[in-house]
Amino acid sequence: MTHRADASSALDNRGYAGPLIRGANPITLIETAVRDRITESLYWKEQCFGLNAATLLDRAVDLSYIGGTYGVGMRPTPFLCLAFKLLTLTPEKEIVLEYLNMGGEEWKYLRALAAFYVRLTFEPVDIYTTLEPFLTDARKLRRRRKEGYVLMHMDEFIDELLTKDRSCATSLWKLPGRQQLEDLDMLEERVSPLQAELDELDEMEQDQDGDPRNGSESGASPLVRSSSSEG
Amino acid sequence: MSHLKKTAYEAAASDTDFRKTWDRSEYEAKAKKEQDERREEGRARYEAKLEGKKWHKPVDFSTLDATSSRAGRVDVASMVGKSTLIPAGSAIGKRGRGAGFYCEACDLTYKDNVQYIEHLNSKQHLFNTGQSGEVARATLQDVRNRLEMLKQRKREREEEDKRMGEIDLDARLKKTEDIEEREREERRRKRNEKRRKGGQNGIKTEDSGWEGRLGIIS
Repeated sequence: MTHRADASSALDNRGYAGPLIRGANPITLIETAVRDRITESLYWKEQCFGLNAATLLDRAVDLSYIGGTYGVGMRPTPFLCLAFKLLTLTPEKEIVLEYLNMGGEEWKYLRALAAFYVRLTFEPVDIYTTLEPFLTDARKLRRRRKEGYVLMHMDEFIDELLTKDRSCATSLWKLPGRQQLEDLDMLEERVSPLQAELDELDEMEQDQDGDPRNGSESGASPLVRSSSSEG
Repeated sequence: MSHLKKTAYEAAASDTDFRKTWDRSEYEAKAKKEQDERREEGRARYEAKLEGKKWHKPVDFSTLDATSSRAGRVDVASMVGKSTLIPAGSAIGKRGRGAGFYCEACDLTYKDNVQYIEHLNSKQHLFNTGQSGEVARATLQDVRNRLEMLKQRKREREEEDKRMGEIDLDARLKKTEDIEEREREERRRKRNEKRRKGGQNGIKTEDSGWEGRLGIIS
């Protein structure tokens, strides 16, 4: 099995015959304007040529920041270029999970890249079940903005992917809410890993104040710090 | 060269006999073959044009290897600050060697690095360098092996960094001494080698004459 070294077959708008994601060419998940910028960029032409799912790792371990586009010229980041390359390659699910778990332990930006790809291509239930375990990953990430960098953490990024509709210069397709999937019995209710601590905190407060307090917190949010500051 | 005229003294008959004697029939056949090929190509080109297509030389795809990813960056800065001699009249078009980024395989010169890299990705270049432009699809095992390899490489680099960034003074002194000792050993070995080579039979000979030495006039 082979595939083309460049994205010519994926970008062919006269007749695309490759694998589909939700019935469409996977590259359409990236906006047209950004797609054009990616295929014009030097990083794409030089570094993304001839990659396959294995050699893409060479580039992914060298990533040092995430982000969409930067600068006044809105140049795409290597992160976005590699995500686009992944969309043209459409590797098997096991390979993506390998990136996330085995590679992600070692290289945080590889995990961020794989998570972004999972959000774009997987089925809703799979997105929640694969990405939610990484809400406990608190490693720092550098994010390149239009000008300069900002600091964020892996759990923030994962939360952004699960809850926001725009990330890294890409409008993420509409993901059904967690509550909706729970109501359809497709997902179990999520228990935050900090639930035990939260309960403990509540108990302490109850002991102090003497008034009972409802400690149920929406489990999907990693920002549990806010709940402790409420009391 | 078998039918050279020989004299009784076995010497060459004339002073131009060192020249190659051409096998006329062989070269005639070769020229005919080339001409036929050219004519054939011309006809194919013409027929393609009549059909409104562009003709390309047929490529034997069975001999091409799979394309692989680049091992590193394309080195476009290696010639910065250097002067090169280029033939006169080479500045027109991109054919042949000129000033700029030269592709050996395709005999083309590009004026900027983006054009050059685009050329390196082009079908023309890939076919000329015996690549098919198709990449082998990676399996899960390939990905696992790659990850292992990269982890191994990362560990080695960390080990190296740790050695370079040693903060224990005694360890650092000892390491420096070791390195110096090794360098001294190397120098000694080289010196001995030179000595052995310079003298005859391993003995260095002294210049016997005192004339010509500085300050002595005989």
